Amino acid sequence: MREERTKERPLASPGNERRAVVELAGITKRFGDFTAVEDLNLNIYEGEFFSLLGPSGCGKTTTLRMIAGFEEPTEGTITIAGQTVQGMPPYHRPVNTVFQSYAVFPHLNVFDNVAFGLRRAGVKGEELRRRVTEACDMVQLSGLEKRKPAKLSGGQQQRVALARALVNRPKVLLLDEPLGALDRKLREGMQIELKNLQETVGITFIYVTHDQEEALTMSDRIAVMNEGRVQQVADPATLYELPRSRFVADFIGLMNMLSGTVESVSGRQVTLRAAGGKRVEAIIHEDAGMRPGAEVHVAVRPEKMRFGDEGDNVYAARVRQVIYMGVSTQYMVELEGGEKMMLYQQNASGVAGYRAGDRISVAWDAANSLVLES
Amino acid sequence: MAKDKGKGWSPGLAGLLSPVTFWLGLFFLAPLLLIVAYSFGTAGVYGGMKLGFNTNNYAQIADPLYLKILFRTLVIAVLTTLLCLVLGYPLAYFIAFRSRKWRNNLILLVMIPFWSSLIIRVYAWVVILSGNGIANHALQFLGITNGPVNLIFTPKAVLMGMVYSYLPFMVLPLYASLESFDVSLKEASQDLGANRWHTFWRVTFPLSMPGVIAGSILVFIPAAGEFVVPQLLGGAKTTMMGNLIQQQFLDARNWAFGSALSMILAVVLLVAIIFYVRRVGTDKLEVG
Repeated sequence: MREERTKERPLASPGNERRAVVELAGITKRFGDFTAVEDLNLNIYEGEFFSLLGPSGCGKTTTLRMIAGFEEPTEGTITIAGQTVQGMPPYHRPVNTVFQSYAVFPHLNVFDNVAFGLRRAGVKGEELRRRVTEACDMVQLSGLEKRKPAKLSGGQQQRVALARALVNRPKVLLLDEPLGALDRKLREGMQIELKNLQETVGITFIYVTHDQEEALTMSDRIAVMNEGRVQQVADPATLYELPRSRFVADFIGLMNMLSGTVESVSGRQVTLRAAGGKRVEAIIHEDAGMRPGAEVHVAVRPEKMRFGDEGDNVYAARVRQVIYMGVSTQYMVELEGGEKMMLYQQNASGVAGYRAGDRISVAWDAANSLVLES
Repeated sequence: MAKDKGKGWSPGLAGLLSPVTFWLGLFFLAPLLLIVAYSFGTAGVYGGMKLGFNTNNYAQIADPLYLKILFRTLVIAVLTTLLCLVLGYPLAYFIAFRSRKWRNNLILLVMIPFWSSLIIRVYAWVVILSGNGIANHALQFLGITNGPVNLIFTPKAVLMGMVYSYLPFMVLPLYASLESFDVSLKEASQDLGANRWHTFWRVTFPLSMPGVIAGSILVFIPAAGEFVVPQLLGGAKTTMMGNLIQQQFLDARNWAFGSALSMILAVVLLVAIIFYVRRVGTDKLEVG
């Protein structure tokens, strides 16, 4: 059942053939000796909310800048809307960018900021006024058209940057950590708003972020990057439930890791021997070949574990630390072999809590423990 | 709370400002008032000064000879400012967008002329431009001219000397405003479809206006009062207000007329600056 749910979701417009609007083929970018992006291959489809997710320095912003035209790839080709854009300056590319620093023009008021791109494109008079007003309405800036950016809050400047880009109706909107500078509450509101906006205008969004929660909330698909390479491209649920590598498993959410040796393989079912002789029942990716004797890791999400002795994997453990977090309580438990694991328990009514030092047993199902190669 | 404090006066603030108030009062305001008083005085027969209310000094300026000098002064000062801007802007732009290490070294080169006296540097130009100087030798060597040409003691020589002297005063404020320029604004402009030309005229240049205004004022005011350069490179034909005032004070010993000339120059410059800032400035200065 879980496999059903985690299959790639169809896009918002069913029936339509998925057309790649941005194609990155064999992209490598070097700055001197430093390789920022290595052999990147990605297709981003029309109408998609696509995120590039990774820690700082993983090459996600460089990738975005190459699509925008601020950097040229050292190797490989970029195609936007069927056209190779090699050597094409940013002002000829059918994309617009929302910059991390907003880069709102301080000498122009809101109206002139939003009208900047349209005026370059030769839009004038009534149409110019109408489209700027529409764009301002869309991001809730109505009535602020005459204000200078210095008189706007961070969130409002953010909206100006957004309206200024969207008003040109680009084929692709590039967003470089646009919510990074906003406080948490405002950021969460803007995430939903951005997602709604994207669904309304139907423009492809390519969104760069280091915040995995943000990427999971908004994206249709996410490319997780590390050290210039794409680790995995998948929809949020697949990324969370079926990470391909230890890096992805660690980067997205919290993950418990056990190491062990493969004892037997039967289809996707694997039995492992972990430290202290514990037997662990787990599953592997459909296409992963695994031989007995291989040294592997088993990944289990904290919320998939429970107290008690019902499950494929049951172990005696001792509670080491209890952190009350409101909705749930986070327990740090230590298995008999000395492995420390994290476990979440919902603070629903009638759920008994534990205290540090309690002897308990923890359990989880084989289907929730994914084998990852070391 | 801090904001309220910043707006009001406090004994501590007054204390901190008292040295500079005293200094400016003693060395700026007092001499200025003295000049105002002198400008209505009468020159004594042996160069003394009789105070009074004599408006003749001002009436004397209506003499076409003096009006011509005032006009020439303003033209040379305006041309100096424009040439400094046209030459200085690309230089400041070039330096401001280098890497940090290059920037600091290049701006140091711009400031190097300040290490020697202006008079010495202008004398160097006398040597270069004179009939038997380096410039004439070079022109003849390259076959551009057959014999020595008259380069020195012309309005052009004065203009050249002035631009040379005041260029750093234009470059430094321009550099300061361009150096702090957020490069992502240029990228945003290009991203929105503006090519380099439009990006410069719609974004970079308007945002460097504070530097343009500061540089223009820093060049225009001293250029209008300049007397060393026209004296050494201009000869008798290119007298400027500065020379005239100097002559009245030191040669003619007519301090009253010299003071009146100084006041006229100061008022004309003040009006010009106010007009300039009103015209170019106000809305563009309001950036931060």
